Amino acid sequence: MELRKTTVRQAADAVWKGEITAHQLIEKTLKNCSVLNEGLNIFTYLAGIDAVEQAKAVDQKIKNGEKPPLAGIPVAVKDDLCYGVLPTGLGSPAFSEFISPVTAAAVERLMEAGAVVIGKTNLDDMGQGSTTLSSPNGPTVNPWLAGRTAGSAGAAAVATGVCMLAVESDSGGALRQGASHCGVAGLRPTTGRVSRHGLNAHCSSFARVGITAFSGEDISEVLDLISGFDERDAATAVCREGISEIIKAPGSKDITIGYPVTAFDYLEPELREIFEQARERFAEGGYRIEEVDLGLLREGLLAYYVIAMAEAFSNHARFDGIRFGKTAEADSLEEMYEQSRAEILGREARRRSIFGAFLLSKDNYGRYYRQALKIWEMVRQEFETVFERCDLLMLPAARSLPRSLEGESGFLEGWSEDLYCAPVSLSGMPALTIPAGQVDQLPVGMQLVGPPFSEKMLLAVGSASGSTGK
Amino acid sequence: MKYEVVIGLEVHVEMLTGSKLFCSCPNRFVAEPNVNTCPVCLGFPGALPQLNREALQQALRAAVALNCKVALYSYFDRKNYFYPDMPKGYQISQHYIPLGSNGFLDIEDEKGELKQVGIGRVHIEEDAGKLLHEAGGASGGSSMVDYNRAGGPLIEIVSEPDLRSSGEARRYLEKLKSIMQYAGVSDCKMEEGSLRCDANVSLRIPGDQSFGIKTELKNMNSFRAVEKSLDHDIKRQARILDSGEKVVTQTLRWDEDRQETIVMRGKLEAGDYRCFADPELAPIELTAEEVELARQNLPEMAAERARRFVEQYGLPEYDAGVLTASRCLADYFESCLEHFNKPKEVSNWVMGEFSAHLNNAGLEADQASFTPEDMVELLKMIDEQVISGKIAKEVLEKAFVSGKKPRLVVEEEGLLQISDQSELEAIIDRVISENPDTVESYRGGKGKALGHLVGQVMKATRGKANPQLVNELLVKKINS
Repeated sequence: MELRKTTVRQAADAVWKGEITAHQLIEKTLKNCSVLNEGLNIFTYLAGIDAVEQAKAVDQKIKNGEKPPLAGIPVAVKDDLCYGVLPTGLGSPAFSEFISPVTAAAVERLMEAGAVVIGKTNLDDMGQGSTTLSSPNGPTVNPWLAGRTAGSAGAAAVATGVCMLAVESDSGGALRQGASHCGVAGLRPTTGRVSRHGLNAHCSSFARVGITAFSGEDISEVLDLISGFDERDAATAVCREGISEIIKAPGSKDITIGYPVTAFDYLEPELREIFEQARERFAEGGYRIEEVDLGLLREGLLAYYVIAMAEAFSNHARFDGIRFGKTAEADSLEEMYEQSRAEILGREARRRSIFGAFLLSKDNYGRYYRQALKIWEMVRQEFETVFERCDLLMLPAARSLPRSLEGESGFLEGWSEDLYCAPVSLSGMPALTIPAGQVDQLPVGMQLVGPPFSEKMLLAVGSASGSTGK
Repeated sequence: MKYEVVIGLEVHVEMLTGSKLFCSCPNRFVAEPNVNTCPVCLGFPGALPQLNREALQQALRAAVALNCKVALYSYFDRKNYFYPDMPKGYQISQHYIPLGSNGFLDIEDEKGELKQVGIGRVHIEEDAGKLLHEAGGASGGSSMVDYNRAGGPLIEIVSEPDLRSSGEARRYLEKLKSIMQYAGVSDCKMEEGSLRCDANVSLRIPGDQSFGIKTELKNMNSFRAVEKSLDHDIKRQARILDSGEKVVTQTLRWDEDRQETIVMRGKLEAGDYRCFADPELAPIELTAEEVELARQNLPEMAAERARRFVEQYGLPEYDAGVLTASRCLADYFESCLEHFNKPKEVSNWVMGEFSAHLNNAGLEADQASFTPEDMVELLKMIDEQVISGKIAKEVLEKAFVSGKKPRLVVEEEGLLQISDQSELEAIIDRVISENPDTVESYRGGKGKALGHLVGQVMKATRGKANPQLVNELLVKKINS
């Protein structure tokens, strides 16, 4: 079975019918993974025997007459999500052997549904970034073009066909940009839809757990499984009484797509063209297009970084060499903290912690942090206004093509890649990246953003209109 | 003294709840370290806090019991600083909007008049773990951390700088403790750390509008220590001011052994806690109805209970006041009454002997091994004339200290009252023959002489004789 040409539904069906056992499927997947991993640096850990055991358990379930909906489906899990069997590396050399006592809720639910965890995927320094360039394990290579970054290793795992699903975190856009750079689909869900239990968030306000897959159709197969109330994440309380989905059939005049004209001004012409073409395709597909104003993207990006760095400073304070990481031998407590933390946090994580401490200090709280909170609210309102007139909104996912693995570029340049993703994170609304076209043999993705709990509409529209990266 | 004393108190109270503030770990003391812990209170990556609704209700009860204005919208902030007893590198607290503010409680001032002491804020926060220092050779020993207490539910109660003497500070604490105990919020045992107090104190010339430079006092383990350390620092500050110098802002630690305050740190080192709203916790939203309900459902407070004791049990006001000063003691009293319904008798024993032993041992009524059942057993023995009142005091003391049942103490010590007539008659005969003069004066009409003779018999029996019987037999013998 060629996973790249199969949907999740078809693959699980094949396992149900006994055309292939979960065990066979996973053995094959593991072999492919280790081969591909050498060149692409996708995985930090491969599950090996554990994956085989999981697969055997799925086969046993099927023998017992059960029909697990994701029977034998290979899943990659980003290494900031805990899976109690494998180490949870968090993007820090200090955690390479850290076995978490918890397993992330989303991973748990996929496994209950018969999916098999294949391994943990690479990520930036303490999960902070959308490129994997700051990873202590080195960057993940883009499967489309060596020499470029994949953006996210989970997207690379899916794009190469070694895994059919990837569970990934997304704060400022890592999941969405990864999907864009690798030509696959990636969903960042509405705030509170998917439990974040077991996710080491560097930025709690914006970190969400999402799914990357070949297509919107495949994501649709798992969305319900991972959605819903979980007492271990207070934010999911919005789903306690069930989820009121916004559903509209694709391709009808009922759906109005917002087109933020000025937003595309930041793009290079060849990228810009892709979105103009996408607009045309939507119009031809029978959607109503409405030009809307989204004037706060830049401010939103800045506010995102102020808040994200403030929270990272605090969220990562626990990694101080006492409870986590190695306790450095030092003469004083202060020195011990300094030396231990230097071992745990890499350059990018240290930079963000220091900036965060600065932004929250007495003198700067009002000047930066409080202002950022105000912008957050303004951005939220701006998106709400858009959705008063539109059903969904199209935006780029990344500002440029995947970055080169070679050559130093400034960190500010890297952060500015989140221009289209970070403001959506502030809005709290769901966003789906789908392939939109190609430039220089590299895929370019588009974000479809919708009002809260419009994931099913986004997936339906995305499945119907995306040009797949396969 | 020519200065006016200005004191404000910051009190931390451990709330009584089933579980910790943000996780389901049991909220109770265990000796073995790190037993009551879980991924949430140990700060594991990926473990998210959930507010314990019971803790919120307790805090709300505290706020309304202290007459606070309750914020219908408040939230949790993170107070960021590094210390090994804090697993997350920050403490979850309420910095920007406290749950309760602008409250007050009443105390008696130095002249015995009623005085309202303002309460600036009541907020919820989590407890830290405990550092255990191990002394050791050249390396200076090692430190270990016990996180059993980490994430425990606390409220911080900050008074306005309305207290004008160490005595007022003590009475404020006593009143606060009583209110918290009666409201069922906390057992407020300072020695066990369920009530902790820091004090801010400054001096100024009477009539001054602005405050003097204050010092902060810490590490006081009893109300007495609070009073003494305040007195100590007030004198110290007065000496400095008298000499024309300025008090320095600093934090001092009370040293119980040396009975003096010792400088811990200057205020220059005071931290910037970089407080910001905790993004992992939802805001606390209450309705006016919920707050009102909490107010209505407040349990009976000390004054009400004292009134009830007078009405229901016919106790003198004095007794009712003493018994209800501590909720534990009042509970103890009422437990006794359930099985021995003679209120005044019970009151005498609970207020008198029992309280005296509690004070000596530094215990609260519910910590004593001498339970209400034991008290009832003791009182019944007196009632049934198994022992005399005098012997009963001895029994109580022995039972209190040893934890033995009163009846067992009586048996083991051979303290049973002698009511055996023949045994007593032999002693009485001896007393009569040894005291012919006294017997004569009684016969001559001096009633008091009989008392002397009874005393002799009691002495001979080491108090165990049944006094009533002795009386009867003596009269009979002398008159026969």
